[in-house]
Amino acid sequence: CVPLFLMTGPALAAAALPPAAARHAAADWQLTGKVTSPNGEGLPGVTIVVKGTTLGTSSNADGSFSLAVPETPGTLVFSFVGFQTQERPFAGPENFSIRLADDTKSLDEVVVVGYGTQKRSDVTGAIATLDASKLEERPITRVDQALVGQLAGVQVQQNTGLPGRGFTVQVRGNSSITAGNQPLYVIDGFPLEIASPNSNGNYSTGNPLDNINPSDIQSIEVLKDAAAAAIYGSRAANGVVLVTTKRGKTGKAVISVNAYSGVSQMAKKLDLLTPEEWTQRATEIVNAAWVKSGAGRSASQDNATRRQILGLAPGAYTPSLMPDDRWSQPGHPGLDYIDWQDAIFRTGVVQNYQVSASGATPNINYFVSGNFNDQQGIVIGVNYRRYSARANVEVKANDKLKFGLNLTPTYSESSDPGVEGKDNLTQKFVTMVPVAESSAGLLTNYGENPVYLWGGSSISPVGELTNRQQSTKTFRSLATVYGELEPVKNLRLRSTVNLDNTDARAKSYIPNSKLVGSGATGTFSGYRHITFVNENTATYSRVFAEKHDLTVLAGYSYNYFHTESDKLKSSGGFVNSAVTTLNGATNITGTADNGTSETQNTLVSQFARLQYAFMGKYLLMASVRRDGSSRFGEDSRWGVFPAGSAGWRISQEGFMKNVAFLSELKVRGSIGFAGNNNIGDYSSLATLGVNSYTFGGAIATGQAPNSSPNADLRWEKSRTLDFGLDYGFFRNRIFGSFDYYTKTSKDLLLSVPVPSASGYGSQLRNIGEVLNQGWEVELKTNNFTGAFTWSTALNFSHNENQVVHLGPGDAAIEIPSSYGAASAILQVGQPMFSFYSIVQDGILTQADIDSKVPIIQGETVGDPKYRDADNSGAIDDKDRVIVGQPSPKYTWGITNTFSYKGFDLSVLVQGQNGGQLYSLIGRAIDNTNMGYNQNVLGLQRDRWISPENPGAGERGKASTSFTPLKSTSWLYSSDYYRVRNITLGYNLNTLIGTRFVQAARVYASLENFFGHDTYRGGYNVDAVNSNAGGGSFGVGTDYGGLPLTKSVTFGLNVTF
Amino acid sequence: EKDLDQSPISSGSVPTFYKSADDFTQAMNAAYSSLRDYPDRQLTMAETRSDNIYGVSTQGIRTWEPINNFSTAIASNEYPAGTWTADYTGIYRCNILLDQLAANGSVLTPALRTRYEGEAKFLRALYYLDLVRYFGKVPLIDHALEPQVVAKINRSPVADVYGLIIADLTTASASLAPSYTGADVGRATSWAAKGLLGLVYLTRSGPTYGIEGPGLDSHEYDKAYALFNDITTNGPYQFATGTNAYANIFSYTNENNKEVLFDVQYISGGVGQGASYPSILVTNNYFNSIGVGTTFGTGDELRPASNNLLSTFAAGDVRKTFSLQQGYTTTTAPILTEPRAAFKKYINGALRGTTRTDWPINFIVMRYTDVLMMKAEAILKGGGGAPADVDAIMSQVRARAGLTGTVTGTTYAQLMEERRREFVGEGLRWHDLVRSGNAVNILNAWIAQDDVSKRMRSPLNANDLLYPVPQAELAASAYLYEQNPGY
Repeated sequence: CVPLFLMTGPALAAAALPPAAARHAAADWQLTGKVTSPNGEGLPGVTIVVKGTTLGTSSNADGSFSLAVPETPGTLVFSFVGFQTQERPFAGPENFSIRLADDTKSLDEVVVVGYGTQKRSDVTGAIATLDASKLEERPITRVDQALVGQLAGVQVQQNTGLPGRGFTVQVRGNSSITAGNQPLYVIDGFPLEIASPNSNGNYSTGNPLDNINPSDIQSIEVLKDAAAAAIYGSRAANGVVLVTTKRGKTGKAVISVNAYSGVSQMAKKLDLLTPEEWTQRATEIVNAAWVKSGAGRSASQDNATRRQILGLAPGAYTPSLMPDDRWSQPGHPGLDYIDWQDAIFRTGVVQNYQVSASGATPNINYFVSGNFNDQQGIVIGVNYRRYSARANVEVKANDKLKFGLNLTPTYSESSDPGVEGKDNLTQKFVTMVPVAESSAGLLTNYGENPVYLWGGSSISPVGELTNRQQSTKTFRSLATVYGELEPVKNLRLRSTVNLDNTDARAKSYIPNSKLVGSGATGTFSGYRHITFVNENTATYSRVFAEKHDLTVLAGYSYNYFHTESDKLKSSGGFVNSAVTTLNGATNITGTADNGTSETQNTLVSQFARLQYAFMGKYLLMASVRRDGSSRFGEDSRWGVFPAGSAGWRISQEGFMKNVAFLSELKVRGSIGFAGNNNIGDYSSLATLGVNSYTFGGAIATGQAPNSSPNADLRWEKSRTLDFGLDYGFFRNRIFGSFDYYTKTSKDLLLSVPVPSASGYGSQLRNIGEVLNQGWEVELKTNNFTGAFTWSTALNFSHNENQVVHLGPGDAAIEIPSSYGAASAILQVGQPMFSFYSIVQDGILTQADIDSKVPIIQGETVGDPKYRDADNSGAIDDKDRVIVGQPSPKYTWGITNTFSYKGFDLSVLVQGQNGGQLYSLIGRAIDNTNMGYNQNVLGLQRDRWISPENPGAGERGKASTSFTPLKSTSWLYSSDYYRVRNITLGYNLNTLIGTRFVQAARVYASLENFFGHDTYRGGYNVDAVNSNAGGGSFGVGTDYGGLPLTKSVTFGLNVTF
Repeated sequence: EKDLDQSPISSGSVPTFYKSADDFTQAMNAAYSSLRDYPDRQLTMAETRSDNIYGVSTQGIRTWEPINNFSTAIASNEYPAGTWTADYTGIYRCNILLDQLAANGSVLTPALRTRYEGEAKFLRALYYLDLVRYFGKVPLIDHALEPQVVAKINRSPVADVYGLIIADLTTASASLAPSYTGADVGRATSWAAKGLLGLVYLTRSGPTYGIEGPGLDSHEYDKAYALFNDITTNGPYQFATGTNAYANIFSYTNENNKEVLFDVQYISGGVGQGASYPSILVTNNYFNSIGVGTTFGTGDELRPASNNLLSTFAAGDVRKTFSLQQGYTTTTAPILTEPRAAFKKYINGALRGTTRTDWPINFIVMRYTDVLMMKAEAILKGGGGAPADVDAIMSQVRARAGLTGTVTGTTYAQLMEERRREFVGEGLRWHDLVRSGNAVNILNAWIAQDDVSKRMRSPLNANDLLYPVPQAELAASAYLYEQNPGY
């Protein structure tokens, strides 16, 4: 209402003044003065009115004003958007000097809720808001990136170091074991299809925030409790993220240009053995193998002796039994010592350009923008590029009817030679032997280059990264058309039609490392993903008797989701390496990998909501949604999701008026039910799998059931209880909120392991239960106001996750692993997917062996010592115990913002505590008994070498004779803190004035530059790129993920 | 609301299946499809575990190494678990097919219906025999049942499982065709059913070792002898002789030959129907040495022949030179020489498929020479026939192997050692050892002699003759199943 007042104020004043002047011209009091901003500059355009009248004026270009009023004492009201309104009494002619304070939080602020908006002060659910309108003042490339460390109870993880990829967002912990934990995203009222990353960390048909330009975002609201989210019914259990894009503002058209450019590098380097250390270790292993290989062989025998014993020709080597003579020669002639990390990582250039225009007239409101974003990866061959445009236009046809169109065409190109995950290039280059023949160098074993005898069969990752071609091109278009009719006052009928269409095409060509076409493989694949939503709502909103504020909403929604995918794969190599498209493949037919497939589901819903506020003090909200989904079994097709909440704004009570320091106090409580329908499109049905065979040299197609039906299969159901407190002190210089919640998620979808004797490994049932409870604090303080300002925004959340029920009998479920015994377990009373392994307790000494401590068969002095948890006298898989949990218990973020004169500085620090990660990359670079023909972690530097030289007590000897089990040696704390962003800006207006531009700012920004974690086995504690689980349990782990990117950028924001 | 009824677009679903003859044919094919990994399982579970292979890794941690080393921590190992799962998947496909045949089989001609019943029962018996030989007692399921029902069914005594196996094979041998032509070649025949039934009796007759294993000490050698004698007397098979006779049995261009009673069928061409078993015991360096390595990607580690196996062959035994490559050298730089022996019996680099899992060569589950030698075994155990018949069979087999000299007074030990040489790399050795009654002694003596790197558990005892019940199955049964002793 402030802008409206602004518009009408001067006009009214002008209309009212002449008659008054005519009557009291001589006797009027002259009120004059100057209005300034907090830092003392004159403020033009401030509205000044005599309270309770229509008499008023507005300030001039330098902030001064003058107003003649009748000779009656009164009060002057100074108001201006963005500043706190001030009142000053007068009792005669007076000269005022008014300094307006920044309006840090307007209580009339409106928040977006599902299917509507609500005054912030009336909100009774748990809603976190991110004002995203200033995102362009910092180099943000994705919308989810903007959420990192910003909101209490919203944990955002960057699972990959590849640019352009989706982050995972979790609202209040993990509440689903198998059906995904990602929230529902709603962009400008358009609910998108929920996508969860697979256990390899990838979104197979895209992330809902892909290609969305963060600079177009006005605000982001996260509906955290069921009361706020339940209006989205069977999709709301993991929270709902409402994204609102920018609109034009009444007034002059605003043209805005934002650009930045900078460089990025890896934020962390792994500590691996140096080439010299590797040769020492290899010598140790080779000598041990030599000694073991036959009687009368000792480590002191030189290679000449060994050749004689083995009957080898002079100069010939058996690498497993003989060290390379050149290792011990000064300068290692003929050998290159290589740091593969230095060879692979590079400094990438990032750049981003955005232009937007916006404005509004009484009949039309528009915002259009174009954006180009280019991120060169920190690894050779990794690149990402995005082009996007947006047009938001709303037309007011007449007083009763308006309609609008939001259109967002985007295009992106992403190149990734296959760097993350098991057996991909990150794992390859960290395990690569750091020594190569000088004749091959960085291209060892690539093309015609020789392999290094002690280097195993590893192929130069530099060669692979340079020559592989793998890219994905994605064209995505989001469109919303809507019409809104107000047939009678206070009643609005709105109908929207929304379409989200994504077309992605991926090409890969992986040449044979010997650079011949015949061994190359290539694929061409793609998908089309369509979400169509039609929603129709009726909203009646009215204030009765100036006390009863009532809003009633009813609606109907139809959602259709369809995905088509296709894939072609080469067979038998390529004709040559010149043609890399599949027409150059020897063959593409007859491969089981070729084909197309489609899947779809529908969702039909009815919903209603009532919001009621009595005198702004007593607040009530109730909602219900009924969802029917094709995904649910035929016997439980419809679900009902009710919610209710209430609040009491104590600060509005009369008895609180005297408590001056308290500007806001509200208590609220809520209960609600929400669902998670992310259970797969046809999971309730018994489907057939193709299991073919061959007779007489011909294919005999076979089909057999591959899943057992369950007509009762339904949504997972969450009940959230939330108690909250909103507070503000000292005219809201300190304000924030506190929430305590318990979220019980029942009927969780579990593939209950069933005996294989049934023909199935598992059956999908609604059986599990998980409890999440915790608390969240948000606190914002304006520590300094005035010329130097300092404000702090802090959020801190704590979540405890606990499995309450599992399958029949609540038997613990060990998550199957492809790499030996399970290292994750679901057990009642424990956090979901707790880590489960045997515990290493130092290194075996001779005394241990003599006293017969339990060992794994074959262990000797210098091997790891493990804890015999079950006291069986031997170390085996039964000694596994719970050793950690994957989710952090605490997450937090602090943003400090400073400004002085034209400078602004903001610092975002964010972190987490209380969680662990069980990293399978350890299996590749830090296992017990790793051979010489690969490199290992620097941890192995301090390995046990001899009883006299026992090392750090963490890693055993290099050459062992036992079969290791998974132990805590790959378990790391996932605690970290990270200075995500430091941005220093300078307002050029103080230099160049506002004659040519409305605003101009330059800034420098550091992303991810500082931080600390104790993850020694890999680059990124949040990395997810391989499946550590089996069956239906996707448990993501790090099996070679890239480090995060740190970058320095310089940017410019100009508004005309 | 109509839109809420959706059915899979890109896959079939059960409600519409088992309605036509074509559906039943596909269901039958799927029951065979569970055989696809059968050879791989035998080469790990039976060949690698036996004294034929010294599978101690030198490079890293191989999941098959604990199998070779007789680790007691293999309840979660993928190979026993995979065997249990694959066999029961096959059994389920047979069960549901048999149930559906009973319900809707009228859409088939009576002849085809009878044959499919026979084939399903043959396969079910084969899968159960596999289970009994590796795990002893197993849950006995002969209908497609709800998972909740199956979870309440405990492991049945071995004798009961044999009861179903024998009933199934008896039905199958009566209802199956003696042979097939054209696009049916590879289906189970009545002779295959008889051969398998003979093996069942022979196995049952073996010693119990005091464990609930495959041997029941039932002394049914006469039944075994009768079946084997029927095959050798009346069957369409032929003992191959002549130049390269032994090699020709396994020739890529001589599949489904007169030696084959039953095999697992494969074709190459990148259609997902190739065999992977020829690759699993050898490394990429071996492929390189025969000139095909560069297109095969990185390989697993060599599982070499044990010294004990190499030494059992007399000089000039063609079975050794055909089956094993002792020492080989890569053909492209870097030149690497591997002194140990690789199993190459099933590898023909010239006729390879598109990948290392796309070999076209069938895997012979039972062959005529096996029947002959099992017949000899039954004779030596007093099942019928004359000792001279045993000597004749031995002479025949040895002559084809290029060994001269007549054989007289063949002992049981000699026969079994001859079987070891004849069937080297065919996945029979472990079962032969167990059946012989001397498994524990032979293995302990071998480990003491060959285990230079001291990685193998020793001494072994009778409990090691059975695999543990996979951990996942124990858990899924809510520990209704009891673990085998020793694990």
